[in-house]
Amino acid sequence: MHILATEGLTKRFPTVTAVDQLTVAVGPGVTGLVGANGAGKSTLIKILLGLLPPTGGAARVLDLDATTQGAEIRRLVGYMPEHECLPPDVSATELVVHLAKMSGLPRTAARERAADVLRHVGLAEERYRPIGGYSTGMKQRVKLAQALVHDPKLIFLDEPTNGLDPRGRDEMLALIRRIGTEFGISVLVTSHLLGELERICDHVIVIDAGRLLRSSAIDEFTQATQTVTVEVEDGLEPLADRLAEAGQTVSQQGRLLVVKVLGPETFDVIRDAAVDLDLCLIRMEQGRHRIEDVFREEVAGV
Amino acid sequence: MSEIYDIGYRHYDGPRLGRGYATRALTLHSLRGVFGLGRPARSKIMPFALFVIMLLPAVVAIATMALAQQRILPYSGFAVIMQAVVAIFLASQSPTVVAPDLRYRVLPLYLSRPVSVGEYVTAKVASMVIALFLLVAVPLTLMYVGELVVDMPGPPATGEYVGSVLMALVLAVLLSVYGLALASFTPRRGLGVASVIVVYLLSSASVPLVFSVLYESGYRSEADWAWLLNPFWLVDSVQSWLFGTPPHAIDGGSYPSGPASALILVVLIGIGLAALALRYRKAAAR
Repeated sequence: MHILATEGLTKRFPTVTAVDQLTVAVGPGVTGLVGANGAGKSTLIKILLGLLPPTGGAARVLDLDATTQGAEIRRLVGYMPEHECLPPDVSATELVVHLAKMSGLPRTAARERAADVLRHVGLAEERYRPIGGYSTGMKQRVKLAQALVHDPKLIFLDEPTNGLDPRGRDEMLALIRRIGTEFGISVLVTSHLLGELERICDHVIVIDAGRLLRSSAIDEFTQATQTVTVEVEDGLEPLADRLAEAGQTVSQQGRLLVVKVLGPETFDVIRDAAVDLDLCLIRMEQGRHRIEDVFREEVAGV
Repeated sequence: MSEIYDIGYRHYDGPRLGRGYATRALTLHSLRGVFGLGRPARSKIMPFALFVIMLLPAVVAIATMALAQQRILPYSGFAVIMQAVVAIFLASQSPTVVAPDLRYRVLPLYLSRPVSVGEYVTAKVASMVIALFLLVAVPLTLMYVGELVVDMPGPPATGEYVGSVLMALVLAVLLSVYGLALASFTPRRGLGVASVIVVYLLSSASVPLVFSVLYESGYRSEADWAWLLNPFWLVDSVQSWLFGTPPHAIDGGSYPSGPASALILVVLIGIGLAALALRYRKAAAR
């Protein structure tokens, strides 16, 4: 069963085409939507929420038509925007209770749900203080709480890790994973960093300039793009030649070698080659592929 | 701080109410905002101080009725006499209703829920109308209750009281629409306050100016129309047409009253609503 599906979806603005003939289907679980800034991620979410009419094509969310049943969709879906969206002079509790009512929850239910959800996202006593005094991490948690408060079937998270420090980023990612697994709420999460989505997603969609580059389960994805970075003191070129002879795919990037991982044997080959050539191996690091790498491969592949 | 507690997630399977409920909840939330309820203490000072100032003349009027058996403050003239206070309330509180949602971009959180932009704007206008109506109608009602208790000679001025309360509602609609439209075009709070008060001052100051220009140019009877540039006198003129109350223009001035001023009032409200609709259509597309 598909949580959402688009068919030839297109959105043209006077100057740009934000979404271009996009056909994707997303199943339950956590799905990552990856693209550079301006790739059309936010536009796609607005179309799926029924807030922006598409120029062409069709989109269905939870089996509802995005162009005609927008209000129905928005009743069952949560949305965390990318930008700052919190008024500074009210407390997190007051805001989340209010937004729960805006989603149709009666007064007492709104109170209970808001308290529950704020605890789940990790806001304790500070939830009674005005939001103006919160850190970026706490604000992101409030934004997430308001998207969850009406117990949606699906949530759209637009760049939820934006502006967070490494620890906050890890906590946010863990929380998103929990939402997708323990809470049983399907998640569509956008990012321009493929690396961080790999850790939490079941499925990844890559778009660029509004067009679909790739849509596949996360296992296929990481296998296809796994690399290891090798750094040696001297003799980078002999090592590269030796590895190429051994059937590995090697590319030189400055003082580093990037070797495509074909399987566990790749690591053995690198180790053996370094020993044979009597090289001083400084580091071997699992490649962190960024969105750029995928683009490079896709472009090379096309 | 910010530990994630593991208490398990509970799903919600209770009722999900419709858009009418959401619109009412937003109206109430905004109305609380106008009076600073649920906000820090400093947000309550201005609205409550102005509310108390509005009550003072009513208290004095009741005292005079009790002690001197005299009516010093006619119901129908209350809004016109207190117009500066009402205008300050409008200027200081209109931005609290619309500005934060625009300035801090809270609007997308509403629009990603079932409510439409139209319902959102309706709720905002309704909250400001209720606030302004309370500001004018509560002192009027206090005065009327005082009159009944004091037991003045002659019948109580019930007709005039009911008329003035109805006109308070009309005045609240006219002022709210313009206050919110101006505040929504200037989402910074300080600017919003300034723009509303400047427009009010201009509309008041232009009355004698336009009047004397017309009068000196020989359009003596047409000059009276200048009074209607001020929203309070415009509503007062409609009141004297509908309820036959005397005009409350200063210095015994009189102004045209009749269907024409009612028509001007309706057209003005329409223009204000159109401006609001336009503003929010643009804001929603962001």
